[in-house]
Amino acid sequence: MIHDIKDRFLYWLSLSCSLAAIAIMLSLYIFIARESLPIWTEVGPIKLLLHSDWQPLGKSPSFGFFTMIVSTFWASAGAMLLAAPVGLGCGIFLSEYAPRLLAAFIRGILSILTGIPSVVYGFLGASIIVPWHERITGVPSGESLFCASLVLSVMIVPYIVAGTYSAYKSISPEYREAAYVLGVSKPYVIQKVLTPLAARSLASAVTLAFARASGETMAVLMLSGNTLTMPLSWFSKGEPLSALIALEIGTAEVGSHQYQALFAAGLVLLLFVSSINLAIYFINGRRHAQ
Amino acid sequence: MKSPKQTTIIWHVGFWLSGLLLVAVLSSILLILIYRGGSSLSLEFLTSIPKGAILGKEGGIFPAIAGTLSLTILSSLFASLPALLVAIYIVEYGKDGLLARVVTTIVQIMIGIPSILIGLFGYALFVVFFNMGISLAAGALTLAVMIFPTLVVFMRNALQSVSDEYRLVGISLGTSRRYLIQRVILPQALPHICSSLLLAMGYAAGATAPIMVTAAVIMTRSPVTLHHPVMALPFHLYILFSQQISIDRAYGTALVLVMLLLSLNAISLYVQKHYEKKVHPHG
Repeated sequence: MIHDIKDRFLYWLSLSCSLAAIAIMLSLYIFIARESLPIWTEVGPIKLLLHSDWQPLGKSPSFGFFTMIVSTFWASAGAMLLAAPVGLGCGIFLSEYAPRLLAAFIRGILSILTGIPSVVYGFLGASIIVPWHERITGVPSGESLFCASLVLSVMIVPYIVAGTYSAYKSISPEYREAAYVLGVSKPYVIQKVLTPLAARSLASAVTLAFARASGETMAVLMLSGNTLTMPLSWFSKGEPLSALIALEIGTAEVGSHQYQALFAAGLVLLLFVSSINLAIYFINGRRHAQ
Repeated sequence: MKSPKQTTIIWHVGFWLSGLLLVAVLSSILLILIYRGGSSLSLEFLTSIPKGAILGKEGGIFPAIAGTLSLTILSSLFASLPALLVAIYIVEYGKDGLLARVVTTIVQIMIGIPSILIGLFGYALFVVFFNMGISLAAGALTLAVMIFPTLVVFMRNALQSVSDEYRLVGISLGTSRRYLIQRVILPQALPHICSSLLLAMGYAAGATAPIMVTAAVIMTRSPVTLHHPVMALPFHLYILFSQQISIDRAYGTALVLVMLLLSLNAISLYVQKHYEKKVHPHG
Protein backbone atom coordinates (compact mmCIF):
# COMPACT_ATOMS: atom_id res chain seq x y z
CA MET A 1 0.00 0.00 0.00
CA ILE A 2 2.68 2.47 1.06
CA HIS A 3 4.70 1.38 -1.96
CA ASP A 4 1.79 2.06 -4.20
CA ILE A 5 1.57 5.63 -2.92
CA LYS A 6 5.29 6.16 -3.37
CA ASP A 7 5.10 4.83 -6.92
CA ARG A 8 2.36 7.26 -7.83
CA PHE A 9 4.07 10.07 -6.01
CA LEU A 10 7.25 9.81 -8.10
CA TYR A 11 5.24 9.59 -11.29
CA TRP A 12 3.15 12.65 -10.53
CA LEU A 13 6.13 14.58 -9.22
CA SER A 14 8.17 14.03 -12.37
CA LEU A 15 5.14 14.73 -14.53
CA SER A 16 4.41 18.01 -12.78
CA CYS A 17 8.06 19.05 -12.99
CA SER A 18 7.93 18.48 -16.73
CA LEU A 19 4.80 20.57 -17.01
CA ALA A 20 6.44 23.27 -14.88
CA ALA A 21 9.44 23.26 -17.20
CA ILE A 22 7.15 23.91 -20.14
CA ALA A 23 5.42 26.66 -18.17
CA ILE A 24 8.71 28.38 -17.32
CA MET A 25 9.80 28.28 -20.93
CA LEU A 26 6.52 29.75 -22.11
CA SER A 27 6.56 32.36 -19.37
CA LEU A 28 9.99 33.46 -20.57
CA TYR A 29 8.51 34.34 -23.95
CA ILE A 30 5.38 35.77 -22.41
CA PHE A 31 7.21 37.98 -19.93
CA ILE A 32 9.58 39.44 -22.47
CA ALA A 33 6.69 40.03 -24.88
CA ARG A 34 4.41 41.43 -22.17
CA GLU A 35 6.95 43.92 -20.83
CA SER A 36 7.57 45.24 -24.33
CA LEU A 37 3.97 45.22 -25.54
CA PRO A 38 3.08 48.92 -25.00
CA ILE A 39 5.98 50.18 -27.08
CA TRP A 40 5.07 47.97 -30.03
CA THR A 41 1.63 49.53 -30.22
CA GLU A 42 2.72 53.05 -29.33
CA VAL A 43 5.74 53.48 -31.56
CA GLY A 44 4.94 50.74 -34.01
CA PRO A 45 7.06 47.85 -35.24
CA ILE A 46 8.28 49.64 -38.37
CA LYS A 47 9.77 52.55 -36.44
CA LEU A 48 11.27 50.24 -33.85
CA LEU A 49 12.85 47.85 -36.29
CA LEU A 50 13.80 50.04 -39.22
CA HIS A 51 14.67 53.42 -37.73
CA SER A 52 18.21 54.02 -36.68
CA ASP A 53 17.62 56.68 -34.08
CA TRP A 54 18.03 55.57 -30.47
CA GLN A 55 17.51 58.41 -28.01
CA PRO A 56 15.48 56.93 -25.18
CA LEU A 57 15.95 59.89 -22.82
CA GLY A 58 15.67 62.88 -25.15
CA LYS A 59 12.87 65.42 -25.08
CA SER A 60 11.19 63.71 -27.98
CA PRO A 61 12.59 60.24 -27.42
CA SER A 62 13.03 57.87 -30.33
CA PHE A 63 13.42 54.13 -30.14
CA GLY A 64 14.74 52.70 -33.36
CA PHE A 65 17.19 49.85 -33.00
CA PHE A 66 18.05 49.23 -36.61
CA THR A 67 21.70 50.18 -35.98
CA MET A 68 21.89 47.55 -33.24
CA ILE A 69 20.39 44.93 -35.51
CA VAL A 70 22.99 45.78 -38.16
CA SER A 71 25.76 45.65 -35.53
CA THR A 72 24.58 42.26 -34.32
CA PHE A 73 24.62 41.06 -37.89
CA TRP A 74 28.14 42.35 -38.62
CA ALA A 75 29.60 40.91 -35.43
CA SER A 76 28.01 37.49 -35.64
CA ALA A 77 28.17 36.99 -39.40
CA GLY A 78 31.80 38.07 -39.26
CA ALA A 79 32.47 35.61 -36.46
CA MET A 80 30.86 32.86 -38.48
CA LEU A 81 32.96 33.77 -41.51
CA LEU A 82 36.16 33.55 -39.46
CA ALA A 83 35.22 30.48 -37.46
CA ALA A 84 33.69 28.30 -40.16
CA PRO A 85 36.86 27.52 -42.19
CA VAL A 86 38.93 26.77 -39.09
CA GLY A 87 36.12 24.87 -37.43
CA LEU A 88 35.32 22.73 -40.45
CA GLY A 89 39.01 22.12 -41.11
CA CYS A 90 39.71 21.16 -37.53
CA GLY A 91 36.65 18.91 -37.37
CA ILE A 92 37.74 17.07 -40.50
CA PHE A 93 41.28 16.91 -39.17
CA LEU A 94 40.10 15.33 -35.92
CA SER A 95 37.85 12.83 -37.59
CA GLU A 96 39.97 11.84 -40.60
CA TYR A 97 43.61 12.71 -40.00
CA ALA A 98 44.64 13.16 -36.40
CA PRO A 99 46.29 10.27 -34.58
CA ARG A 100 44.00 9.02 -31.85
CA LEU A 101 45.93 10.52 -28.96
CA LEU A 102 46.24 13.93 -30.61
CA ALA A 103 42.54 13.90 -31.44
CA ALA A 104 41.64 13.14 -27.84
CA PHE A 105 44.00 15.89 -26.70
CA ILE A 106 42.50 18.50 -29.03
CA ARG A 107 38.98 17.52 -28.09
CA GLY A 108 39.93 18.00 -24.45
CA ILE A 109 41.26 21.45 -25.31
CA LEU A 110 38.02 22.30 -27.08
CA SER A 111 35.95 21.36 -24.09
CA ILE A 112 38.15 23.57 -21.90
CA LEU A 113 37.70 26.43 -24.39
CA THR A 114 33.92 26.14 -24.15
CA GLY A 115 34.23 26.26 -20.36
CA ILE A 116 35.99 29.64 -20.31
CA PRO A 117 33.35 32.28 -19.61
CA SER A 118 32.63 34.98 -22.15
CA VAL A 119 33.64 37.78 -19.81
CA VAL A 120 37.17 36.37 -19.73
CA TYR A 121 37.25 36.19 -23.52
CA GLY A 122 35.99 39.75 -23.69
CA PHE A 123 38.56 40.93 -21.19
CA LEU A 124 41.47 39.23 -22.94
CA GLY A 125 40.29 40.44 -26.32
CA ALA A 126 39.92 43.99 -25.09
CA SER A 127 43.28 44.10 -23.38
CA ILE A 128 45.28 42.23 -26.05
CA ILE A 129 43.61 42.33 -29.46
CA VAL A 130 42.33 45.91 -29.24
CA PRO A 131 45.76 47.54 -28.56
CA TRP A 132 47.22 45.35 -31.27
CA HIS A 133 44.52 46.51 -33.67
CA GLU A 134 45.29 50.13 -32.71
CA ARG A 135 48.98 49.66 -33.43
CA ILE A 136 48.40 48.13 -36.84
CA THR A 137 45.75 50.48 -38.17
CA GLY A 138 46.78 53.61 -36.25
CA VAL A 139 43.26 54.41 -35.05
CA PRO A 140 43.07 55.97 -31.57
CA SER A 141 40.66 53.43 -30.11
CA GLY A 142 40.68 49.97 -31.60
CA GLU A 143 37.35 48.63 -30.43
CA SER A 144 35.38 47.54 -33.45
CA LEU A 145 32.90 44.98 -34.66
CA PHE A 146 35.84 43.21 -36.27
CA CYS A 147 37.52 42.72 -32.88
CA ALA A 148 34.22 41.46 -31.50
CA SER A 149 33.94 39.00 -34.40
CA LEU A 150 37.49 37.82 -33.87
CA VAL A 151 36.88 36.97 -30.21
CA LEU A 152 33.41 35.57 -30.92
CA SER A 153 34.96 33.28 -33.52
CA VAL A 154 37.26 31.77 -30.88
CA MET A 155 34.20 31.24 -28.70
CA ILE A 156 32.08 29.50 -31.32
CA VAL A 157 34.77 27.50 -33.05
CA PRO A 158 34.56 24.59 -30.55
CA TYR A 159 30.88 24.14 -31.39
CA ILE A 160 31.54 24.06 -35.13
CA VAL A 161 34.36 21.56 -34.59
CA ALA A 162 32.14 19.34 -32.43
CA GLY A 163 29.35 19.43 -35.02
CA THR A 164 31.74 18.71 -37.89
CA TYR A 165 33.48 15.94 -36.02
CA SER A 166 30.28 14.11 -35.20
CA ALA A 167 28.95 14.64 -38.74
CA TYR A 168 31.96 12.86 -40.24
CA LYS A 169 32.17 10.23 -37.51
CA SER A 170 28.56 9.27 -38.05
CA ILE A 171 29.16 8.40 -41.72
CA SER A 172 29.16 4.65 -42.10
CA PRO A 173 32.76 3.34 -42.48
CA GLU A 174 31.68 1.36 -45.57
CA TYR A 175 31.92 4.53 -47.67
CA ARG A 176 35.52 5.06 -46.66
CA GLU A 177 36.46 1.42 -47.14
CA ALA A 178 34.89 1.26 -50.58
CA ALA A 179 36.61 4.45 -51.67
CA TYR A 180 40.04 3.48 -50.39
CA VAL A 181 39.78 0.06 -51.99
CA LEU A 182 39.41 1.89 -55.28
CA GLY A 183 42.76 3.54 -54.56
CA VAL A 184 41.48 7.09 -54.27
CA SER A 185 43.47 9.64 -52.28
CA LYS A 186 42.26 10.77 -48.89
CA PRO A 187 41.55 14.43 -49.78
CA TYR A 188 39.53 13.20 -52.74
CA VAL A 189 37.47 10.90 -50.54
CA ILE A 190 36.84 13.72 -48.08
CA GLN A 191 35.88 16.16 -50.82
CA LYS A 192 33.80 13.99 -53.08
CA VAL A 193 32.43 11.24 -50.87
CA LEU A 194 32.26 12.27 -47.23
CA THR A 195 31.53 16.00 -47.44
CA PRO A 196 28.39 15.68 -49.57
CA LEU A 197 27.11 13.12 -47.08
CA ALA A 198 27.86 15.41 -44.15
CA ALA A 199 26.82 18.64 -45.84
CA ARG A 200 23.53 19.08 -44.07
CA SER A 201 24.96 18.54 -40.59
CA LEU A 202 27.80 20.92 -41.40
CA ALA A 203 25.37 23.61 -42.48
CA SER A 204 23.36 23.23 -39.29
CA ALA A 205 26.50 23.32 -37.11
CA VAL A 206 27.56 26.61 -38.70
CA THR A 207 24.05 28.08 -38.47
CA LEU A 208 23.75 27.17 -34.80
CA ALA A 209 27.11 28.83 -34.19
CA PHE A 210 25.77 31.95 -35.91
CA ALA A 211 22.75 31.98 -33.59
CA ARG A 212 25.01 31.51 -30.60
CA ALA A 213 27.27 34.38 -31.67
CA SER A 214 24.36 36.74 -32.20
CA GLY A 215 23.17 36.35 -28.62
CA GLU A 216 26.59 36.53 -27.00
CA THR A 217 26.85 39.50 -24.69
CA MET A 218 29.92 40.11 -22.57
CA ALA A 219 32.51 39.77 -25.29
CA VAL A 220 30.75 42.10 -27.73
CA LEU A 221 29.96 44.51 -24.92
CA MET A 222 33.67 44.88 -24.14
CA LEU A 223 34.91 44.86 -27.72
CA SER A 224 32.53 46.46 -30.14
CA GLY A 225 32.99 50.06 -28.98
CA ASN A 226 29.36 50.77 -28.11
CA THR A 227 28.58 53.74 -30.28
CA LEU A 228 25.13 54.44 -31.60
CA THR A 229 26.20 55.35 -35.13
CA MET A 230 25.33 53.10 -38.02
CA PRO A 231 28.19 50.64 -38.64
CA LEU A 232 29.04 50.99 -42.32
CA SER A 233 31.74 48.35 -42.38
CA TRP A 234 33.07 45.44 -40.43
CA PHE A 235 35.75 47.69 -38.98
CA SER A 236 33.36 50.31 -37.61
CA LYS A 237 32.30 50.53 -34.03
CA GLY A 238 28.81 49.44 -33.18
CA GLU A 239 26.52 48.34 -30.41
CA PRO A 240 24.84 44.97 -30.90
CA LEU A 241 21.40 44.29 -29.41
CA SER A 242 22.77 42.22 -26.55
CA ALA A 243 25.22 44.96 -25.56
CA LEU A 244 22.45 47.57 -25.71
CA ILE A 245 20.30 45.54 -23.32
CA ALA A 246 23.17 44.85 -20.93
CA LEU A 247 24.25 48.49 -20.85
CA GLU A 248 20.89 50.15 -20.37
CA ILE A 249 18.53 47.79 -18.55
CA GLY A 250 20.13 48.45 -15.17
CA THR A 251 19.43 52.18 -15.34
CA ALA A 252 16.12 52.14 -17.22
CA GLU A 253 13.20 52.98 -14.99
CA VAL A 254 10.83 50.04 -14.68
CA GLY A 255 7.83 50.51 -16.95
CA SER A 256 9.32 53.49 -18.80
CA HIS A 257 9.46 53.64 -22.56
CA GLN A 258 13.16 52.89 -22.47
CA TYR A 259 12.47 49.78 -20.36
CA GLN A 260 9.81 48.63 -22.80
CA ALA A 261 12.01 49.32 -25.80
CA LEU A 262 14.84 47.27 -24.27
CA PHE A 263 12.46 44.36 -23.81
CA ALA A 264 11.36 44.85 -27.42
CA ALA A 265 15.02 44.55 -28.45
CA GLY A 266 15.22 41.41 -26.32
CA LEU A 267 12.13 40.01 -27.99
CA VAL A 268 13.63 40.55 -31.44
CA LEU A 269 16.80 38.73 -30.41
CA LEU A 270 14.82 35.98 -28.69
CA LEU A 271 12.60 35.30 -31.69
CA PHE A 272 15.57 35.38 -34.06
CA VAL A 273 17.67 32.91 -32.07
CA SER A 274 14.75 30.64 -31.16
CA SER A 275 13.49 30.35 -34.72
CA ILE A 276 16.95 29.33 -35.94
CA ASN A 277 17.26 26.79 -33.14
CA LEU A 278 13.78 25.42 -33.70
CA ALA A 279 14.29 25.10 -37.44
CA ILE A 280 17.61 23.31 -37.04
CA TYR A 281 16.16 21.07 -34.36
CA PHE A 282 13.36 19.90 -36.59
CA ILE A 283 15.56 19.49 -39.66
CA ASN A 284 17.99 17.35 -37.67
CA GLY A 285 15.22 15.55 -35.85
CA ARG A 286 13.59 14.52 -39.10
CA ARG A 287 16.85 13.16 -40.39
CA HIS A 288 17.41 11.10 -37.25
CA ALA A 289 13.93 9.72 -37.51
CA GLN A 290 14.46 8.50 -41.05
CA MET B 1 47.53 23.03 -63.07
CA LYS B 2 48.59 21.61 -59.76
CA SER B 3 49.47 17.98 -59.59
CA PRO B 4 47.25 15.81 -57.40
CA LYS B 5 50.24 15.26 -55.14
CA GLN B 6 50.56 18.99 -54.46
CA THR B 7 46.85 19.34 -53.80
CA THR B 8 47.07 16.50 -51.31
CA ILE B 9 49.89 18.26 -49.50
CA ILE B 10 47.97 21.55 -49.39
CA TRP B 11 44.95 19.82 -47.89
CA HIS B 12 47.10 18.03 -45.35
CA VAL B 13 48.78 21.24 -44.29
CA GLY B 14 45.43 23.05 -44.06
CA PHE B 15 43.85 20.42 -41.82
CA TRP B 16 46.88 20.13 -39.56
CA LEU B 17 47.16 23.90 -39.24
CA SER B 18 43.54 24.37 -38.22
CA GLY B 19 43.92 21.66 -35.59
CA LEU B 20 47.12 23.11 -34.19
CA LEU B 21 45.74 26.66 -34.28
CA LEU B 22 43.25 25.76 -31.57
CA VAL B 23 45.96 24.27 -29.40
CA ALA B 24 47.90 27.51 -29.83
CA VAL B 25 44.88 29.65 -28.94
CA LEU B 26 44.13 27.81 -25.73
CA SER B 27 47.71 27.64 -24.58
CA SER B 28 48.22 31.35 -25.21
CA ILE B 29 45.03 32.17 -23.27
CA LEU B 30 46.20 30.15 -20.29
CA LEU B 31 49.80 31.38 -20.49
CA ILE B 32 48.76 35.05 -20.66
CA LEU B 33 46.40 34.59 -17.72
CA ILE B 34 49.03 32.86 -15.62
CA TYR B 35 51.80 35.25 -16.64
CA ARG B 36 49.85 38.47 -16.10
CA GLY B 37 47.52 37.32 -13.33
CA GLY B 38 50.02 35.26 -11.35
CA SER B 39 51.84 38.33 -10.05
CA SER B 40 48.77 39.82 -8.39
CA LEU B 41 47.75 36.51 -6.88
CA SER B 42 48.45 36.36 -3.18
CA LEU B 43 46.82 35.23 0.01
CA GLU B 44 45.86 38.81 0.70
CA PHE B 45 44.25 39.14 -2.75
CA LEU B 46 42.12 36.07 -2.06
CA THR B 47 41.11 36.88 1.50
CA SER B 48 40.62 40.63 1.81
CA ILE B 49 37.96 43.03 0.64
CA PRO B 50 38.44 45.58 -2.18
CA LYS B 51 40.21 48.72 -0.97
CA GLY B 52 41.75 51.85 -2.36
CA ALA B 53 40.62 55.33 -3.36
CA ILE B 54 38.68 53.76 -6.21
CA LEU B 55 37.42 50.52 -4.72
CA GLY B 56 39.17 47.57 -6.28
CA LYS B 57 42.43 49.30 -7.03
CA GLU B 58 43.92 47.67 -3.96
CA GLY B 59 42.89 44.95 -1.58
CA GLY B 60 41.37 41.68 -2.63
CA ILE B 61 38.41 39.91 -4.07
CA PHE B 62 37.16 37.87 -1.15
CA PRO B 63 33.52 39.10 -1.29
CA ALA B 64 33.44 38.32 -5.03
CA ILE B 65 34.64 34.76 -4.40
CA ALA B 66 32.06 34.32 -1.65
CA GLY B 67 29.33 35.77 -3.86
CA THR B 68 30.17 33.59 -6.84
CA LEU B 69 30.32 30.47 -4.69
CA SER B 70 26.94 31.19 -3.10
CA LEU B 71 25.33 32.04 -6.45
CA THR B 72 26.70 28.85 -7.95
CA ILE B 73 25.75 26.54 -5.09
CA LEU B 74 22.28 28.02 -4.67
CA SER B 75 21.45 27.97 -8.36
CA SER B 76 22.51 24.35 -8.70
CA LEU B 77 20.46 23.49 -5.61
CA PHE B 78 17.41 25.15 -7.17
CA ALA B 79 17.87 23.58 -10.58
CA SER B 80 19.21 20.09 -9.92
CA LEU B 81 16.23 18.29 -8.38
CA PRO B 82 13.64 19.58 -10.88
CA ALA B 83 16.05 18.79 -13.71
CA LEU B 84 16.54 15.26 -12.42
CA LEU B 85 12.79 14.74 -12.13
CA VAL B 86 12.20 16.01 -15.66
CA ALA B 87 14.94 13.69 -16.91
CA ILE B 88 13.31 10.80 -15.03
CA TYR B 89 10.01 11.63 -16.66
CA ILE B 90 11.55 11.76 -20.14
CA VAL B 91 13.54 8.55 -19.83
CA GLU B 92 11.48 6.36 -17.53
CA TYR B 93 7.84 7.40 -17.83
CA GLY B 94 7.23 9.50 -20.91
CA LYS B 95 9.44 7.53 -23.36
CA ASP B 96 8.31 8.48 -26.84
CA GLY B 97 5.01 9.94 -25.75
CA LEU B 98 3.84 13.37 -26.78
CA LEU B 99 4.62 15.14 -23.51
CA ALA B 100 8.15 13.72 -23.33
CA ARG B 101 8.81 14.84 -26.89
CA VAL B 102 7.45 18.32 -26.21
CA VAL B 103 9.59 18.67 -23.08
CA THR B 104 12.68 17.46 -24.95
CA THR B 105 12.09 19.95 -27.76
CA ILE B 106 11.53 22.80 -25.35
CA VAL B 107 14.62 21.98 -23.37
CA GLN B 108 16.69 21.91 -26.56
CA ILE B 109 15.36 25.31 -27.61
CA MET B 110 15.96 26.72 -24.12
CA ILE B 111 19.62 25.73 -24.24
CA GLY B 112 20.06 28.08 -27.17
CA ILE B 113 18.52 31.14 -25.52
CA PRO B 114 21.23 33.78 -25.01
CA SER B 115 22.10 34.31 -21.37
CA ILE B 116 21.37 38.06 -21.53
CA LEU B 117 17.74 37.20 -22.33
CA ILE B 118 17.59 34.84 -19.37
CA GLY B 119 18.85 37.83 -17.39
CA LEU B 120 16.13 40.03 -18.86
CA PHE B 121 13.52 37.43 -17.94
CA GLY B 122 14.93 37.07 -14.43
CA TYR B 123 14.87 40.83 -14.05
CA ALA B 124 11.24 41.12 -15.15
CA LEU B 125 10.07 38.09 -13.17
CA PHE B 126 12.12 37.91 -9.97
CA VAL B 127 13.42 41.43 -9.47
CA VAL B 128 10.37 43.40 -10.63
CA PHE B 129 7.31 41.12 -10.63
CA PHE B 130 8.10 39.20 -7.41
CA ASN B 131 9.67 42.34 -5.99
CA MET B 132 12.83 40.58 -4.83
CA GLY B 133 15.07 43.46 -5.82
CA ILE B 134 18.66 43.02 -6.92
CA SER B 135 19.57 40.17 -4.62
CA LEU B 136 21.35 36.88 -4.21
CA ALA B 137 18.01 35.06 -4.35
CA ALA B 138 16.96 36.69 -7.63
CA GLY B 139 20.36 36.03 -9.18
CA ALA B 140 20.48 32.42 -8.07
CA LEU B 141 16.97 31.78 -9.41
CA THR B 142 17.89 33.40 -12.73
CA LEU B 143 21.03 31.28 -12.98
CA ALA B 144 18.94 28.24 -12.10
CA VAL B 145 16.69 28.98 -15.08
CA MET B 146 19.83 29.31 -17.21
CA ILE B 147 21.44 25.98 -16.22
CA PHE B 148 18.20 24.02 -15.97
CA PRO B 149 17.91 22.92 -19.64
CA THR B 150 21.57 21.94 -19.80
CA LEU B 151 21.15 19.91 -16.63
CA VAL B 152 18.08 18.14 -18.02
CA VAL B 153 20.01 17.07 -21.11
CA PHE B 154 23.03 15.91 -19.08
CA MET B 155 20.86 13.97 -16.64
CA ARG B 156 18.77 12.46 -19.41
CA ASN B 157 21.98 11.19 -20.97
CA ALA B 158 23.08 9.86 -17.59
CA LEU B 159 19.85 7.90 -17.16
CA GLN B 160 19.89 6.68 -20.75
CA SER B 161 23.42 5.38 -20.35
CA VAL B 162 22.19 2.89 -17.74
CA SER B 163 21.83 -0.38 -19.59
CA ASP B 164 18.28 -1.38 -20.50
CA GLU B 165 18.97 -4.87 -19.17
CA TYR B 166 18.49 -3.57 -15.66
CA ARG B 167 15.08 -2.24 -16.57
CA LEU B 168 14.08 -5.49 -18.27
CA VAL B 169 15.26 -7.62 -15.35
CA GLY B 170 13.52 -5.34 -12.91
CA ILE B 171 10.25 -5.44 -14.78
CA SER B 172 10.39 -9.20 -15.21
CA LEU B 173 10.91 -9.55 -11.44
CA GLY B 174 7.74 -7.55 -11.00
CA THR B 175 9.27 -4.58 -9.18
CA SER B 176 7.58 -1.24 -9.56
CA ARG B 177 9.18 1.36 -11.79
CA ARG B 178 9.73 3.69 -8.86
CA TYR B 179 11.59 0.98 -6.91
CA LEU B 180 13.68 0.24 -9.98
CA ILE B 181 14.54 3.92 -10.48
CA GLN B 182 15.32 4.45 -6.83
CA ARG B 183 17.31 1.32 -6.13
CA VAL B 184 18.94 0.43 -9.44
CA ILE B 185 18.94 3.17 -12.03
CA LEU B 186 19.76 6.21 -9.88
CA PRO B 187 22.68 4.52 -8.05
CA GLN B 188 24.04 3.40 -11.42
CA ALA B 189 23.72 6.87 -12.90
CA LEU B 190 24.79 8.75 -9.78
CA PRO B 191 28.44 9.48 -10.68
CA HIS B 192 27.37 10.61 -14.13
CA ILE B 193 24.72 12.85 -12.55
CA CYS B 194 27.25 14.32 -10.12
CA SER B 195 29.72 15.08 -12.88
CA SER B 196 27.02 16.83 -14.92
CA LEU B 197 26.06 18.87 -11.90
CA LEU B 198 29.67 20.03 -11.51
CA LEU B 199 29.81 21.05 -15.18
CA ALA B 200 26.59 23.03 -14.82
CA MET B 201 28.00 24.73 -11.73
CA GLY B 202 30.98 25.84 -13.79
CA TYR B 203 28.59 27.23 -16.37
CA ALA B 204 26.73 29.18 -13.67
CA ALA B 205 29.90 30.46 -12.02
CA GLY B 206 31.17 32.04 -15.22
CA ALA B 207 27.93 33.66 -16.32
CA THR B 208 27.97 37.44 -16.21
CA ALA B 209 25.07 38.79 -18.24
CA PRO B 210 22.28 37.14 -16.21
CA ILE B 211 23.58 38.38 -12.85
CA MET B 212 24.49 41.87 -14.03
CA VAL B 213 20.88 42.98 -13.65
CA THR B 214 19.64 40.54 -11.03
CA ALA B 215 22.27 40.07 -8.35
CA ALA B 216 25.66 41.67 -8.78
CA VAL B 217 26.90 45.00 -7.47
CA ILE B 218 30.26 46.70 -7.60
CA MET B 219 30.80 46.64 -3.87
CA THR B 220 29.00 45.31 -0.85
CA ARG B 221 30.09 45.27 2.75
CA SER B 222 27.24 43.22 4.11
CA PRO B 223 27.75 39.48 4.54
CA VAL B 224 26.20 37.19 1.95
CA THR B 225 22.46 36.94 2.58
CA LEU B 226 19.57 36.02 0.33
CA HIS B 227 17.96 39.45 0.26
CA HIS B 228 21.06 41.46 -0.46
CA PRO B 229 23.02 41.95 -3.65
CA VAL B 230 26.37 40.21 -3.83
CA MET B 231 29.68 40.72 -5.58
CA ALA B 232 30.65 38.12 -8.15
CA LEU B 233 33.93 37.24 -9.83
CA PRO B 234 32.85 37.65 -13.47
CA PHE B 235 31.07 40.93 -12.77
CA HIS B 236 34.00 42.21 -10.71
CA LEU B 237 36.30 41.41 -13.62
CA TYR B 238 34.02 43.32 -15.98
CA ILE B 239 33.93 46.36 -13.68
CA LEU B 240 37.68 46.37 -13.02
CA PHE B 241 38.28 46.43 -16.73
CA SER B 242 35.49 48.60 -18.07
CA GLN B 243 35.95 51.32 -15.43
CA GLN B 244 39.70 51.09 -15.96
CA ILE B 245 40.23 50.53 -12.23
CA SER B 246 43.13 48.13 -12.37
CA ILE B 247 44.23 45.89 -15.22
CA ASP B 248 46.54 43.86 -12.97
CA ARG B 249 43.72 43.13 -10.54
CA ALA B 250 41.52 42.26 -13.50
CA TYR B 251 44.08 39.69 -14.68
CA GLY B 252 44.24 38.30 -11.15
CA THR B 253 40.45 38.03 -10.96
CA ALA B 254 40.27 36.38 -14.38
CA LEU B 255 42.91 33.86 -13.32
CA VAL B 256 41.02 33.00 -10.12
CA LEU B 257 37.78 32.59 -12.06
CA VAL B 258 39.33 30.40 -14.74
CA MET B 259 41.11 28.28 -12.14
CA LEU B 260 37.84 27.80 -10.29
CA LEU B 261 36.12 26.67 -13.49
CA LEU B 262 38.97 24.42 -14.60
CA SER B 263 39.03 22.70 -11.22
CA LEU B 264 35.28 22.12 -11.41
CA ASN B 265 35.81 20.59 -14.87
CA ALA B 266 38.68 18.48 -13.62
CA ILE B 267 36.71 17.14 -10.65
CA SER B 268 33.80 16.39 -12.96
CA LEU B 269 36.08 14.46 -15.31
CA TYR B 270 37.65 12.59 -12.39
CA VAL B 271 34.28 11.55 -10.98
CA GLN B 272 33.23 10.19 -14.34
CA LYS B 273 36.48 8.33 -15.10
CA HIS B 274 36.70 6.91 -11.62
CA TYR B 275 33.21 5.55 -11.98
CA GLU B 276 33.84 4.05 -15.40
CA LYS B 277 36.79 2.15 -14.00
CA LYS B 278 34.65 0.73 -11.23
CA VAL B 279 31.85 -0.43 -13.47
CA HIS B 280 34.02 -1.76 -16.28
CA PRO B 281 37.19 -2.86 -14.48
CA HIS B 282 38.44 -4.83 -17.48
CA GLY B 283 38.07 -2.18 -20.09
